[in-house]
Amino acid sequence: MTLRDGYQDRVRRIYRFISENFYLNRPDLEVKGERYNSALLFGILTALYGGKELIIGEPGLGKTTSAEYISCLIYGIPLGVIWGSEVSGHPEQTEEKIVGRPDLGALNQGREVVVWSNFVQLPVKIVDEINRLPETKQSMILDGVDRGNWEYLNEMIINDEYALFATANYQDRGTNTIIAPLVDRFDVMVESRHPGPNLAFYIGRKSRFDNPLRHQEFEEKFHKLLRSQIPYREKLQRLEELSEGFRDYLKEKVGIETLSKEERFFIRKEMAQMPIDLDANAFMRMVLAELSFCHRYGQKRSVEACTEGCHYTGYLCYHVKNCASNRLPISVIGYSQALAWFLEDDEVDLEHVRTVLPFALAHRIQWRDSYISKKEGEGRNDPLQIYLAKEATEEIFHRYTEQRDYLLDALAIASRAFEGEAVEPLEGDHPIYEEIKKEIASLR
Amino acid sequence: MFEECLKKVWPKVRRNHLFPQIPPPQLVESDEEVALEIKSKQMTINVNFLQLLSEKMSPEDALQALLDHGISHYMYCPWDFNTHLMLYSEAKKVLRDKRLAQKAASYFMDVVANTYCVKERETKIPELYRHLPKEGVQRVLALLYQVIWGIDLGVQGEEENIKRLSRIPYLEKRLWKESVKKFAKTIEEFLQKEMESEQKSHKKVQNPLGEHSLENYTLEEIDKGLREFASSVDDITEFRETVEDLKDELAAMGYTVGGMGRGAGNPIDADLLYYMKLAENYTLPVKKLPMEKSGALHPYSHSPWEIGKPVQDIDPWTSFGKIMPGLTQTWVRREGEVFGEMEKIPDCLIIIDSSGSMTNPRERLSYAVLGAACACNAYLKNGKKVAVYNFSDAFRGNKLILDFCKEKEPVYWAICRYFGGGTAIDLNDINYLLKQAEKPDIFIITDMQITNLEKLIDFFNSIENRVTAVHIGENIYAARFREGLKKKNNVSLFLVKDKEDIPKIVLGKVREYFASPF
Amino acid sequence: MKNPFEEFRSHTTRSKGKELPLDRILKAKEETLNQILKGYENLLKNEAKDLVWLMQYSTVIKAYSIAEEAIKGINYAAEDIEEFCYVLDKTDQVPYLITGPAGVYISALCNNAQEEEIVLRLQDVGIKINLLGYRLPEGKRLIIEGNVGDFTGISLEGGELIIEGSAKNYTGAGMKKGRIIVKQNVGFNTGHGMTGGEILVGGRIKGLGKVVGGKIYEKGQLVFPSDDYRPFYF
Repeated sequence: MTLRDGYQDRVRRIYRFISENFYLNRPDLEVKGERYNSALLFGILTALYGGKELIIGEPGLGKTTSAEYISCLIYGIPLGVIWGSEVSGHPEQTEEKIVGRPDLGALNQGREVVVWSNFVQLPVKIVDEINRLPETKQSMILDGVDRGNWEYLNEMIINDEYALFATANYQDRGTNTIIAPLVDRFDVMVESRHPGPNLAFYIGRKSRFDNPLRHQEFEEKFHKLLRSQIPYREKLQRLEELSEGFRDYLKEKVGIETLSKEERFFIRKEMAQMPIDLDANAFMRMVLAELSFCHRYGQKRSVEACTEGCHYTGYLCYHVKNCASNRLPISVIGYSQALAWFLEDDEVDLEHVRTVLPFALAHRIQWRDSYISKKEGEGRNDPLQIYLAKEATEEIFHRYTEQRDYLLDALAIASRAFEGEAVEPLEGDHPIYEEIKKEIASLR
Repeated sequence: MFEECLKKVWPKVRRNHLFPQIPPPQLVESDEEVALEIKSKQMTINVNFLQLLSEKMSPEDALQALLDHGISHYMYCPWDFNTHLMLYSEAKKVLRDKRLAQKAASYFMDVVANTYCVKERETKIPELYRHLPKEGVQRVLALLYQVIWGIDLGVQGEEENIKRLSRIPYLEKRLWKESVKKFAKTIEEFLQKEMESEQKSHKKVQNPLGEHSLENYTLEEIDKGLREFASSVDDITEFRETVEDLKDELAAMGYTVGGMGRGAGNPIDADLLYYMKLAENYTLPVKKLPMEKSGALHPYSHSPWEIGKPVQDIDPWTSFGKIMPGLTQTWVRREGEVFGEMEKIPDCLIIIDSSGSMTNPRERLSYAVLGAACACNAYLKNGKKVAVYNFSDAFRGNKLILDFCKEKEPVYWAICRYFGGGTAIDLNDINYLLKQAEKPDIFIITDMQITNLEKLIDFFNSIENRVTAVHIGENIYAARFREGLKKKNNVSLFLVKDKEDIPKIVLGKVREYFASPF
Repeated sequence: MKNPFEEFRSHTTRSKGKELPLDRILKAKEETLNQILKGYENLLKNEAKDLVWLMQYSTVIKAYSIAEEAIKGINYAAEDIEEFCYVLDKTDQVPYLITGPAGVYISALCNNAQEEEIVLRLQDVGIKINLLGYRLPEGKRLIIEGNVGDFTGISLEGGELIIEGSAKNYTGAGMKKGRIIVKQNVGFNTGHGMTGGEILVGGRIKGLGKVVGGKIYEKGQLVFPSDDYRPFYF
């Protein structure tokens, strides 16, 4: 079943438009013979899929900028409105500034009326320097985006679509870390890189004032509507009407056709229906096995160190400290489907998964010192976390190519065993075979 | 025409091989009698050769076969530079000649890659071979393919060695070490004939499907491969021999002992490279910025205000401007955790014994040198300096003093130096070195059979530097050393029964030092 | 309960890929090797209890007949014999390489092989196997590349034995006819009890045994019979 309906073309135009005009960059990723910039590509996928993306990078290299432009063009919201809805990370942020506050006038009259922030009302959310927020605020934002629900003073807003972009600088004085349970909630992590001296010079030459993505009139209308006290459902409809107007303006001004809400929903539905081929499926299982398995202790746990002399020291389970969470496969599958849709492929294959996996894995894995120290001195183009994740992906891929047929057979036999056939699961050295046996044993 | 073909064929071939991460191949016009070349993962296909092949088979099939062959080298054999080195090294053990070994390893890789494709993929490689020139070794291989693939490639005749060649388990990766030796031995006479023919004609016999050389790999892959190879060889001589053979090619690619660079670098010292690569397997990660309390309180969360609690932290916003129990919220402040500054790590002085009783690091793997290399790496990686005092009979001039420096190469030179004489340490030299840095850490690796041991004990008793002494084997001197320094908290002594433990001990101590600054 | 492997239900198992003649050759080789190993294990069970084997005239004869019995019915080639030598050398499992019985067994294999000429490439075999070439019959030619142990070519029965390396002690002891060529050196007691045939040594002979008959050459020079060495009568 082909899912080509012209939307991919539109999204690709948006990609090119941002790449050529706003977020000048060098491609650093190749997939299906085409080269893309990872920050921009994953940004667009995040906006389409409705994921959560963590963007890291040195100060001033376009982390927030990329998110702003993508949000503007995918969601049809003027840039000034996007700016006005961002939450910036600093320790004094409060729930009232992030989520909403009581209408003070109404409060003095004895009525509880919530003035919701633009941040929670708009479908796309940008948090700048999230690692400067205290943990409670990070958690609050991530919880809200996870569920789409925002509560304040017993009132609730339910977002029917949402995507989160959060930026973080590298470690320096004055920054906190994002703790592991919180960083695990991000679907992907990308680096916004330096575009090189030639493009950087070109950026410096561009005018700061005539940004076609700004429109004073529309911005005022948006702000007015967002400030108003009409019910949220109605507000969303009217936002969409305004958005339509802004989209028409963009089409006329810059020749770019953005996406309506209905179109975004349709795209998400198409993405979710994207089938996954057996190789991608089996490979992903192999990855999850290596990142969660522990022969000695039943599963990986960050409080239990791997011992010497274990038979499985050749696998990633020996090199990682923590266990892969269930969010990992959700992120990988979701983004792989998004990527396959974007590339107009018929199904998710190994290449999609291998492209997405490092970015979904990089922030989730705690590596042992021995693994880090071996690799940190190697020449690379990526920050260390992403590089380690790419190396790990390639290691597992190599193992997969060696035993692909056998693994597929093992999974086929497991399927039959699960349905009651009297077949024995295949034996193998890799943790996945042990895990298959455990599944079947638990049934019997 | 071929461009169109390639555009059609490439995606299919990629999918067939599970999407290898290599760039799309390029078509080039060349007069070489070679159909395919691979340089740093980039495959190039000779249009002229392809033209000739197209007269006998469809261009799509020809392209597919060539790409199958090229990709399977990347995806299966040799896969990485370490495997390439291993195959070459094993072939060399049997053939004793560099060029012969290179040829043997190259042909072996071809046989493995082709056989893998024929068995595991739908490929046109047999048809390609049917139309390739078949002389010399290529003829023998074609005969071999006919037997092991069961496909007629149009070669007539028999060779007595084909039976032996056909019994080699090419697709058993764990047996490649033995297999390449058997393969090399069996085709040795054909390789000799090929070499002779090259010498006579002054023209290299070209493999139509490309040569296997260092140019197939990127510098990063070479670096990684050398590290893995250093860990996998049985002893230093094997590593040295292999690296010495490839020294010119490595240098031409810009690979030096210190790492990668542009253009031809200094000649590579294989022994140094061995210890450098081996020590990379024992490194500590770079010390991260520690977390520390910022010292500043910041509002962290809210909690309900109760009568009796201070009012200065009441948050009027969340309290809706009201002060009443149950409604009013007050800020809870917390000290933030921020990244601190890097704690100071001192420089390091390595004192290494290279007397006659210690292993000569250039003949056999010396764990003493490896341990010293580990310490050196750890300190240099954290931006500190390292000095080396390598001694045998220091009073007779058998010593080497390297002042504190940040360059890896001179430190390794100093560590690997072997005197092999008596054992006496000149404390004036140690004093001199200690004055060159601010209270450096000291690592001393020795078997303790030092003639002026008492003076050394007195010396260590008088200094406050952190000292880690690693001694090999238990003897009366070590016992005396331990006894003499038992009251000194800054001196740690490790007896090593198994020399393999030296790097771990050194690293453990370095880790401890880094965690607790002096 | 949902089947977590449901998507793989329709996958048809084909884990081995296409079967090539190479697979069949290797399988046959494996089977033959197993049979040969089994025969050797049998020999050890009978002759080398507790892994001890005493080198005596009678034990060698007995071991040889057990070995011949064990290899009856096995369809093997010269390459299989070589493979067997390598496997024995590399393994640290039962059956172990005990050079005496191993040499007798290998000799039985060589003597009963279909080929008239057998080349064994043993350069990489770590241990020097004793008793190779035992009772090599007329019409057979055995070429060994590498070094060998003691009692090489003893009781030779007319065959030609060529050692490309060195041999140790008692080379050609008790040989009746045939030819032994050692390209490098031999040890002590060379030709001890020899009654006929020739031993040609390209290198040095450390010492001759009590030679009865035949001829022995060292670096092309006849050293037995000569003025220095006369036939010995037992």
